[in-house]
Amino acid sequence: MLDLLPHIINGLTLGLLFALIALGFTLIVGVMEVINLAHGSLFALGAYLALSTIGADWFADTGFGTWWLGLSLEIRYALALVAGPILAGLAGMALEVCLRPTYGKAPLYGLLLTFGAALVIEELIRLGWGTGEQSMPVPQMINGAFWMAGLIFSKYKVFAAGFAILVILAIWLFLEKTPYGAIIKAGSHDSEMIRALGHDLGRLRLLVFGLGAAMAGLAGVIMAPIWGLRPHVGIDVVIPAFLIIVVGGVGSFWGAVIAALLVGLSVGISGAYAPAWSMMSMYLLLIAVVGFRARGLLGRKTALEA
Amino acid sequence: MITLSDIPARAGSPGTPAMVLFLALIATAPFWLEAIGLYDYLGIEIAIWILFALGFNLLFGYTGLHSFGHGAYLGTGAYAFGLFQHHVALSLWGGLAVAVLAGALAGALVGACISHRRGIYYALMTIGFGQVFWFSAIKLHGLTGGEDGLLGIPRPDLVLGPWRVDLDDNTAFFWFVALLLGLAVVGLWRLVTAPFGRVLQAIRQNETRARFIGYDVWRTKWIAFTLSAAFAGLAGGLFAMAQESAYPDVMSLHQSGLIVMMVLVGGGLVSFWGPVLGVVLYFIARDVLGGLTETWLLWYGLMFVVMVMLRPEGLAGMLHTLRPRRPNAPIASLSAAPRQEPG
Repeated sequence: MLDLLPHIINGLTLGLLFALIALGFTLIVGVMEVINLAHGSLFALGAYLALSTIGADWFADTGFGTWWLGLSLEIRYALALVAGPILAGLAGMALEVCLRPTYGKAPLYGLLLTFGAALVIEELIRLGWGTGEQSMPVPQMINGAFWMAGLIFSKYKVFAAGFAILVILAIWLFLEKTPYGAIIKAGSHDSEMIRALGHDLGRLRLLVFGLGAAMAGLAGVIMAPIWGLRPHVGIDVVIPAFLIIVVGGVGSFWGAVIAALLVGLSVGISGAYAPAWSMMSMYLLLIAVVGFRARGLLGRKTALEA
Repeated sequence: MITLSDIPARAGSPGTPAMVLFLALIATAPFWLEAIGLYDYLGIEIAIWILFALGFNLLFGYTGLHSFGHGAYLGTGAYAFGLFQHHVALSLWGGLAVAVLAGALAGALVGACISHRRGIYYALMTIGFGQVFWFSAIKLHGLTGGEDGLLGIPRPDLVLGPWRVDLDDNTAFFWFVALLLGLAVVGLWRLVTAPFGRVLQAIRQNETRARFIGYDVWRTKWIAFTLSAAFAGLAGGLFAMAQESAYPDVMSLHQSGLIVMMVLVGGGLVSFWGPVLGVVLYFIARDVLGGLTETWLLWYGLMFVVMVMLRPEGLAGMLHTLRPRRPNAPIASLSAAPRQEPG
């Protein structure tokens, strides 16, 4: 059991980060009934934009760029953590505008359109940042490793896990305790009624898509130092995200969090026994859970089943 | 928006003008491919993908079941063909038969697990299973050669009685693929115009109603999935011959998504021939745009996004709306009525 402890901790960390990715996804699925296959690409876009913010890729020659690069890495990193998600959120809003003609049609069209968008974003990333693997610099403060109770921990992973918990709680508070959250939740329950009550459904969708995309971008910035940055990282990310949603139950907040932790744990623990096959365990988890509970752990009936 | 059912299917005779034109084109392709700036190998690739796409459209366009993991069955066929050549016997027909059987078997197993699902959940499950196949292909080094794939798959000679044709020559191989494609197209056309094809379309339009009428919906969905996986297996076996290798890349979500894009752009939701247009357009775009710019996928992807936004019925749908209608076609009123397409 004690030998497994590092793997369990690793798995829980991974699960928390997966939850960060999946929450944005589930928000969009819940309100819009769109499976956003571009979610992973927005994740990658957010990470790349943060990378460029830290390195001042586009404005290094200007006076502002010199001043910017003179700042400490901590400050630049903290600002990139804000800028990456905001820019990804804007890209998400643009995508939502493109999605408008598909509303009211079969969910297939939203799926297809976002798949095309994923392809476009991935190619744009190749065009802008090259095809090679890049790594994101991390401030000294959260870099390196430390020992605790005879185990070695990566400082960055602890930071990432703590940050993920904070964001998950913030999103939960936002959805549960603010009037906007109430509208979003109502919208995922019955969007027609929301319109009948006088709320602007178009604006709600735009904001929800932007918020979901920003969360994807945020997850990207946090994940980048752990996973590395490749243009096709989007595909590697969107699969666990959708899988978590299906396992947890479409549109369920805590379902997504629990499923993400389960997926992280199963990947972490199976990594102890068969490292090469650890990613396979999440597909087996999907097939096992959906085989027994077709709607996932905490799922309700939704329009997507029709 | 028009759908497949709005274009009247006449009796199952394969003698439609489109069929004659298609068969004539693939039978004569080696004579004119070079003249229009293409080459034999591209013809082979297009023919194989048309075979794959038409089989896929049986599921996607006709039955309305949206599989996003169909590359898995193409890959299964390719690996089965290669493994048969390497470990059992050097045989063309044996290899292709095993490829078809392997594709069908994989499809039957997966189909049995997902046929009770519908709509977007069906699509999600196919992604999950597709990833399992892809992942297994990468990780089972001993069997599949891992990321490099199976290399050095031979093209066995075609033996028909006293005849022996060397398929290493691309022109000869093209005719062989074209022959199989022609047979498959006639077979598929018979299938979709037969009562079975009508049941498939009934399931697409309203699964619940099809069940109430008394059709065994689960079994029909399962058969459609298995059949289309068998066609994918055949295409995979031919693909392994064409590439002289089999590799996991064809099983990835990316490739499985590309086939969906090809079928949709061509108009597979609207016409039997849609997938053909889509595949031809994709490969020509790849060669022409790919020769001009490194980032041709960006332009193809943008074109696809615009198409889904404005003209989701694809090329075939555009051609169909251009054609003058027969005055008394009862179908005109049908297509004018707004109808919610079931997911």
